[in-house]
Amino acid sequence: MKRQNARTLALIVSILTYLVVGAAVFETLESKQEKSHKRRLDARKYELMRKLNLTKENFEELEYVVLQLKPHKAGVQWKFAGSFYFAITVITTIGYGHAAPSTDSGKVFCMFYALLGIPLTLVMFQSLGERINTFVRYLLHQTKKCLGMRRTEVSMANMVTVGFFSCLSTLCIGAILFSQSEGWSFLHAFYYCFITLTTIGFGDYVALQKDDALQNDPRYVAFCFVYILMGLTVIGAFLNLVVLRFLTMNMEDERRDAKQKALVTINKPRAEVARLLPLSTTTTPVAETKSKELKGVYTEVLHFQTICSCLWYRSKEKLQSSSSMIPELAISDPYLQTDSHYDEPGTTGCVCSPRQCTNISSITTGFLSPFRVFKRRSSV
Amino acid sequence: MRTHNIRTVCLIVSMVFYLLIGAAVFAALESERESSRKKAVEQKLKEMKEKFGFTDSDFTQIETVALRSEPHRAGRQWKFAGAFYFAITVITTIGYGHTAPCTDAGKAFCMFYAILGIPLTLVMFQSVGERINTCVRFVFSRVKHRLGLQKTDVSMCNMVLVGLLSCACTLCIGAAAFSHFEGWSFFNAYYYCFITLTTIGFGDFVALQEKDALQKRYPYVLFCFTYILVGLTVIGAFLNLIVLRFLAISIEEDVSSENQSSEPKDTRDGPESEAQTQNLQCKEDTLKLLCSCLCCDADYYSPAHFDPDEMGGHCNPVFYNSISYRVDQLHIVPSTPQEKVIHLTLR
Repeated sequence: MKRQNARTLALIVSILTYLVVGAAVFETLESKQEKSHKRRLDARKYELMRKLNLTKENFEELEYVVLQLKPHKAGVQWKFAGSFYFAITVITTIGYGHAAPSTDSGKVFCMFYALLGIPLTLVMFQSLGERINTFVRYLLHQTKKCLGMRRTEVSMANMVTVGFFSCLSTLCIGAILFSQSEGWSFLHAFYYCFITLTTIGFGDYVALQKDDALQNDPRYVAFCFVYILMGLTVIGAFLNLVVLRFLTMNMEDERRDAKQKALVTINKPRAEVARLLPLSTTTTPVAETKSKELKGVYTEVLHFQTICSCLWYRSKEKLQSSSSMIPELAISDPYLQTDSHYDEPGTTGCVCSPRQCTNISSITTGFLSPFRVFKRRSSV
Repeated sequence: MRTHNIRTVCLIVSMVFYLLIGAAVFAALESERESSRKKAVEQKLKEMKEKFGFTDSDFTQIETVALRSEPHRAGRQWKFAGAFYFAITVITTIGYGHTAPCTDAGKAFCMFYAILGIPLTLVMFQSVGERINTCVRFVFSRVKHRLGLQKTDVSMCNMVLVGLLSCACTLCIGAAAFSHFEGWSFFNAYYYCFITLTTIGFGDFVALQEKDALQKRYPYVLFCFTYILVGLTVIGAFLNLIVLRFLAISIEEDVSSENQSSEPKDTRDGPESEAQTQNLQCKEDTLKLLCSCLCCDADYYSPAHFDPDEMGGHCNPVFYNSISYRVDQLHIVPSTPQEKVIHLTLR
């Protein structure tokens, strides 16, 4: 099975499994509590009904009114500050739902607004995140130099550590500040920050809903907006560092496959090779078979090189075997005079593990010494 | 590097403007309705207070009970079906909030669950989306072939069109289904599908909350879950087609600029014969080919034209290939027979 298909299937199965496991755990944690909570509330409800002499219908009417009043109690939601807050929750896809458009035109505009806004926001956060990663890499590099360390390259592990700690500190800072301003416990404030910055946005905890903060406390309002946007940037930078490469895996594999296929079927290399062979200017049967073999070698080389990305290492073996097919050229390097045997594609094997790849940092062979290897910028 | 910075600044500025404009329009559309509604509800409340004769403190108690009973009204939310629904809203980041964990343990588990689940889901949707796009491309080119069209290449326009149509279809099908099952108007059901599939998830409209559906109507429950996951896949495929390249654009330009800056080193020294220059050029091209971040063929399903220029690897920033390579150093020594070997075998 093609690699991409196998990968996709594996991902689907793992997500479904993850959902089932998550559901089971949530059920265990919450179901009992839900039952007892409901019982208590019902008891309270009946108590109130008796005390205030209300029928069931009356109480339900009151409940309905209470629910209608809920968003209004939190303050005016649709003045400019509130609308800005709402716009943020739309384009970042947080979507608390503390306020949602009630007019039809509001809903329509919301949909069009999201249509353009969400991709724009995605691209913006990734762009900014990438800039931040580059800057952090530079800082780390300079720090390493200053500390007089031997190897001043910034590895992926360094970057991931820095990214992780910056995410954690962003969450903690937010938790402290929101627990103070909103009167939540630290855990609840941390939970709020987490749910917000992962853009889940349940809406069970929402900032700026107490004491009409949206209208009365512009500094706190500004802080909240800045915190949300900056926090999303930090998370975005971390995602850019860690997750983005995985999003493009299938596409890369597909391109590699297509390239290989194209290489096998096109005629050009044959002609090129025939042209460049020093002794033959016209295609002779001998040159043709030779060029066919060369093309075979060529595709083999590329096959290896494209599958396993740290491949110069492997391809030199191919080049050795191919060199014996070109007796016309004077080959002085003894390295090339080793007996060739045409290897089957699988034998030298591509067992390139990411660790192996990053360890291969230079190739020093007789005739390949001019070339340095292509360092992987970051290992997967 | 400068283009990156300029681009990033432009994006930030445009986002801020977009927010300001959005805020202004939303305020204009909703503010009046809000104030009139508020007045109406407060009036109603006053009437009820007089009718039933309860005090403000009584009302506060009623309010507390009513607000806390809200999630229970829709039925048991934390049995397996409800918990599965909740788990979906977490890892897809929809996050309706129709229920949220009450216990601290539930909240903590929710956070850990999200940390692993969200990236896994992102990768899964993009992976499946890419497979779908590939499949559609294949089918499309076959169709073009059958129809006897001259050019059977599937252009970007074709793909975008198909993507748009499939997204619109998904939304409409969902709208029709939910308006039937939930009793919403078609418009509200469409709005619900849109808000769900863009993962915004306000929670003003939530499926499976009427008549204890989570416990009683299993086929409908299954349909809802399937719809959400399949719908997100379709949207993900469309995003994979259009947006993903822009998310990776900075990385690509980094690599291409590195390649370009490494070129001038090559042809420095002394008098070289034309053949040697040619060899050097070809060798350079070969090396660039080996650096797999190179190929800029927009449509890799047509036979690639591997002439030297194209192999020369000027990275079109919009189309990218690999994002994990960089040519660190490039030393090219005047040609020797060995290099001729390389030249011949690799071309």
